Formats: sequence, C-alpha cells, structure tokens
Amino acid sequence: MNHSSLLIWIFLLFPAAAAVGCLILRKASWIFRFIMVGAAVDAGLGFILIQSLFQKGALRAAGSWLRVDTLSAYYILIMILVFLMASIYAARYFNEEIQKGSLSDKTAARFGSLWFGTLSVMTLVLLSNNLGLMWVGIEATTLATTFLISLHPSPLSLEAAWKYVLICSVGIALAFLGTLFVGAADSSSLIWTKLASHASILNPQLMKMAFIFLLIGYGTKVGLAPLHTWLPDAHSQAPAPVSAVFSGFMVNEAMYCIMRYLPIVNGAVGNSHFSRDLLLFFGIFSMAVAAVFILFQHDIKRLLAYSTVEHLGITAIGLGLGGLGVFAALFHTLNHSICKTTGFLSAGKLGQKYGTHDLRKMPGTLQKEQVWGLGLFLSLIILVGSAPFAVFMSELLIIKAAVDHHHFLLLTFFLTALGIVFIGVLSHAVSAVWGEPPGDHVLPEPNHLGDMLLVGAPLLLLLILGIWMPHPLRELLEKSTFILTGKQ
Amino acid sequence: MIPYVNFILTAAIALNLYIVSSSRLRSCVQAAALQGSVLAFLPILLWGTQASKLEIINLLLIGIGTLGVKALLIPFLMFRSIQEANVRREVEPFISLHLSLSAAAVLVIISFWISKVTGLPHPPSAYLVPAAFSGILIGFLIMVSRQKAITQVIGYLIFENGIFIFGQILFQKIPLAVELGVLLDLLVGILVMGIAIYHISREFDHIDVSRLDGLKG
Repeated sequence: MNHSSLLIWIFLLFPAAAAVGCLILRKASWIFRFIMVGAAVDAGLGFILIQSLFQKGALRAAGSWLRVDTLSAYYILIMILVFLMASIYAARYFNEEIQKGSLSDKTAARFGSLWFGTLSVMTLVLLSNNLGLMWVGIEATTLATTFLISLHPSPLSLEAAWKYVLICSVGIALAFLGTLFVGAADSSSLIWTKLASHASILNPQLMKMAFIFLLIGYGTKVGLAPLHTWLPDAHSQAPAPVSAVFSGFMVNEAMYCIMRYLPIVNGAVGNSHFSRDLLLFFGIFSMAVAAVFILFQHDIKRLLAYSTVEHLGITAIGLGLGGLGVFAALFHTLNHSICKTTGFLSAGKLGQKYGTHDLRKMPGTLQKEQVWGLGLFLSLIILVGSAPFAVFMSELLIIKAAVDHHHFLLLTFFLTALGIVFIGVLSHAVSAVWGEPPGDHVLPEPNHLGDMLLVGAPLLLLLILGIWMPHPLRELLEKSTFILTGKQ
Repeated sequence: MIPYVNFILTAAIALNLYIVSSSRLRSCVQAAALQGSVLAFLPILLWGTQASKLEIINLLLIGIGTLGVKALLIPFLMFRSIQEANVRREVEPFISLHLSLSAAAVLVIISFWISKVTGLPHPPSAYLVPAAFSGILIGFLIMVSRQKAITQVIGYLIFENGIFIFGQILFQKIPLAVELGVLLDLLVGILVMGIAIYHISREFDHIDVSRLDGLKG
C-alpha cells in the first residue's frame, strides 16, 4: 500500500475508531474532551491529505473506489472546519447540561459515538469515486443523525426526528433510482472518473431522467424548496452543535452529490442548459420561500434554518449560471458554512441562557452575553450580505455572473429575495440586540477566552476572505470549477 | 427462467394491491415480508443462466442477504414495534380503503405506461419496469394516505422493494459491496424508524402522525 492510499484509509477509518472510543469512555466530561481532541486530530489528517493533493494531484485508494480530487478536497476543508468548531463548542455547550444533571453519561456516550459516526460516513461520501458507494454514505448520514436530533427525547424533537428520517429516506431512495438510471445509461459501471471521461457517449434521454431523480432526491437532503419541509424542524429541535453541522456541512454535502453529476449530465446531453435551468428554478424558488418565511419568523433557530434554505438556493443559482457562477457558488458554500456555524453556536448558547429561542423574549443579548450576543448579531449581519465580508463578495460574483449571461429577470428575483431577507433578519435581530435584558442588573458573566476565540476567529476569517483570497484557496476553487464545468 | 420471473413480478404487484386494501397491520407486515422473500429470488432467476461462476456467487449472496433482511429481520423489527407501541386500532387510513385500492389500480396502469415511455434498453422481462414503478408509486400512496407511523414504514418498504426490482435491470453494473451497503442502510433505516416509533409511542401515547403537528412556520 503506498503512502497516499494509506493516508486516505486513515482519514476514513479514524472517525469510525473514535466513535467506538466514545462508547468505551464512561464519563460525560471525558467524552467531550475526547470529542475535542478527536476533531482536532481529524482536522490535522484532513490538512495533510489536502497538502499531499497539492503535491501529487488526485489520490486514489482501493482500486478506483476511493479518490480525492480538488473538489472533494475543497469539501473536506469545509467539513473539518465545521466539525472542529462544533466539537470544541460541544464541550462548552453540554457542560452546562452536565452541571444541571440533564445529560447522563449514557446520553453523552450516545452523542459521541453518533457524532463521530456521522463524521465517518460524511467522509465516506467525499472520498468515494463510486456513485453507488456515495449514495450509501449519504443515506447512512441520515440514519446516523436521526437520534442526534432527538438526543433529549421530547414530543417536539421526536416529531422533528420522525419527519426528518422519513422524508429524507424517501428522498434519498429517489436519488438511488436516479443512480440506477445513470447505470442504465452507461455500459460499464458507476465509477465517476469513467463516467466523466466518456460522458458524451451516454444515452442522453436516460441521463435526463436520471438527473431529475437525482436532483429531487439529493435536493430533499439539501433542503431545496419545496422539498425543505424537514429542515426548519430538524434544525430547530436538534442541540446547537448538531444544527451547526447540519447547516454548515450536511446540506452542502448533498449539494456536492448533485454537483458530481453535473459534468456527466452536461456531457451526455451535449449542452448544459437542461441541468442549469432546473438548478436555477429550484434555486430561485428556495430563495423566495425562505424569504417569505424569514419575514415572519421569531424563533432564532428556525430563522437560521430558513436562511440555510435561502443560501443553498443561492448556491444552486450560482451552479445554474455556470462559469463564474460555479466559482462563486463554491466560494459561497465555504463562506455560508463558516458563518452559519458561528450563528448556530451563538444562538444555542443564548438559548441556554434565556431558556427560549423566541427572539421577542430575549432582549438585550449584547449586554447579557457579550461574546455570544455579538457573535449572533454579527453572523446575522454577514449572512444578509453586508460588505466587506466574504458572503457579500460571493453574492456579488453571482450577480456579476447573472449580468454576464443577461439573466435580468432572474437577477430581479434574486435581488428582491435578498432585500426581503435583509429586512426580515435585521428587524428581528435589532429588537433582540437592543432592548433591556430581563431581570434587574444582572452582571454579565466574565468572558471566557475560548468563547471569544470560537466566535472571533471565524468572523475574522470571513472578513479576511472578503478582502483577500489566499493563493491555495483560489487554486482549489479554480480547479474545482474546472472539474465541474470543463473550463476555467 | 423468464416465466418464473414474470410470476414473481406479478405476485409483487398483487401483494402491493393486497397491502393497500388490507385493514390489518399484521397482515400488511406479513404481505411485505412475503413480497421481500419472493423478490429475493429475482436476481438469480434473471441473471443466473448467463452469469459466470463468480457472478453466481454474487447473485446468491444478494439473494440470501435480501431474504435475511427483507423476509426475516425487518418483519421481526416491525412486529416488535407493533407490540411495543401497543397498537390497538388498526390501519386508520385518511381515505377509505376502497378509494385507496382504486387509486392503486390506477397507479399500476400508470406504471405500465411509464415503462413504455422511459425507453430503457432491453429490459429482460416486460413486467420488470411496471412492477418496479407500481411498487414505488403505491409505496408513496401508502405513506401519504395512512395515519399510523408504522404504516408509513410499510409504505417505505414497498417503495424500497420497487426500487430493488428496478435495480435488477442493471445487475452487472452495481457491485456487490454497493448492493450489500444498500441492504444494510435499509435494515438500519427500519431499525432507526422502529426505535423512533417506540419513543413516539412512549412520549405521546399514540403513533398517529396526523397528530404530530407541534412544529409550524
């Protein structure tokens, strides 16, 4: 076994081993320390993998079943960032519950093993070059995360978990049907590299059918409207670190699966209009639905969840525009993931302090909880697209792509939706930030250095990315765009 | 072998119609188990005559796996869920059983029409695509037209069986590992749903999904 395939295997199997490790550890406080260290080690392995990709080009293992190219490396980067943030935070978040006695050692062990189990199947999706194996991984993601939503079984969390597991299982089963259609269109196998290299000789009619099933199937997991119904429920009921991973990475990973099919479908059909029109339709519809629901949303976690629907819609529009739009969509994915993770983590901590997620009942967040209040406020400001942060830059690039392609009607809808979201989010956020905190003059708790880093570092990163893009990141983005569109 | 294949596929369609029209939960689960077990023979009957030795082993493994999961483990899990959730009233459809049966009959006709228009290259049996799509569509019908969480799981199983039939068109292209991965996912999926039903019945005292309506907006 050579060096690079060994690296791929270690990266795939480490989280699975860590999941077992959580079952062996008995005490809740140890488990959360272990989760922190484990996520850090996994991030380190991920960076080594990405670095050796830069040195050697695409890496392979297990014949042609496992493969890392630039696109998967880019998503690995997003995954390790989101998991690292959420894992460090999980210790702080659940510490409160351990002290209150509402989190037993057994529940902690279940959380830890499902947490790393989720990480390992998510890794499998990104590493697999076989489209069938990729499907197995995505379905396993759904199953591994169901009981993370209802970690504390309550009527509402169970309702959310039930909706989630049923809707997503059916959706992903449709994606399997789509995968089968891809198999029927081709004479060899479901190996992505082979399909992509001879896409032009595939049966175009069957590939069109396949793409419709795949888009609806994986689109359910992405949360593209009107298939998004599970998303706000699951996000609002899950514990904050889980919501962060859902919005920050899981939905993006389903979008990654759709992306993988784009070069194949476009090659088979002979042009990219078919797939692009479908993506544009779902994208603009998602933005519209999300904008309307955000306007009347008082629950902060549901607000963030609908914002995820909106941003995945923006990503779909970027992909649908092609060329520069694809570059912008990929960049937007990273920006949205970092920002949304920070948003959910702050909202979760504030929710613990106030005992509610209703924005109308949590006034004065900035005074009561300086760090997390500021984190939530700033991440909302960034999410609505304020300059000069990175989310603004990627949205600007998408607007530029739309102008270049003369999609002026689309642009009108796009800007209107952004405007509605801007008004909706700010009106809710401002009332929560300013206003008197409840109770008389509670002294704000001293700020924890770890909290400040956890909020400050991602926001600073978004500011830097908005102004200056480092060379390795640009290279990752440009090469990934090349994989998806065939041109730079 | 094709006459046997056609018999199995016809039986699968008939079992779909039986499940739609049955009012007892237990007989629904039994019928789904029976459907799973006849379908387990499909791969070997369809491809056995033209397969190499290694492929025969693959086909047998898929058949045994399907039989074990769909005819034994899943029905066992479902019966246990019914017992634990202490289901007293039976199927409880939103629309009457007669109406669902008529709707299902229409769906079967639609699936024959679908098989004509998809233009898949040379399906080994003319009933393959209609049987697949009737399973998929009737599974959907059951999922949206029944109140009990457990009947939704039965709908999901029928739906999965439909996709399994469709997958038979492409035996050579789906590697064994992926087939087994799909089966494992199905099994764990049913297990997860079963545990969720258990929690729901404990928390709510019922498993009526039409009353799971606390989350809005």
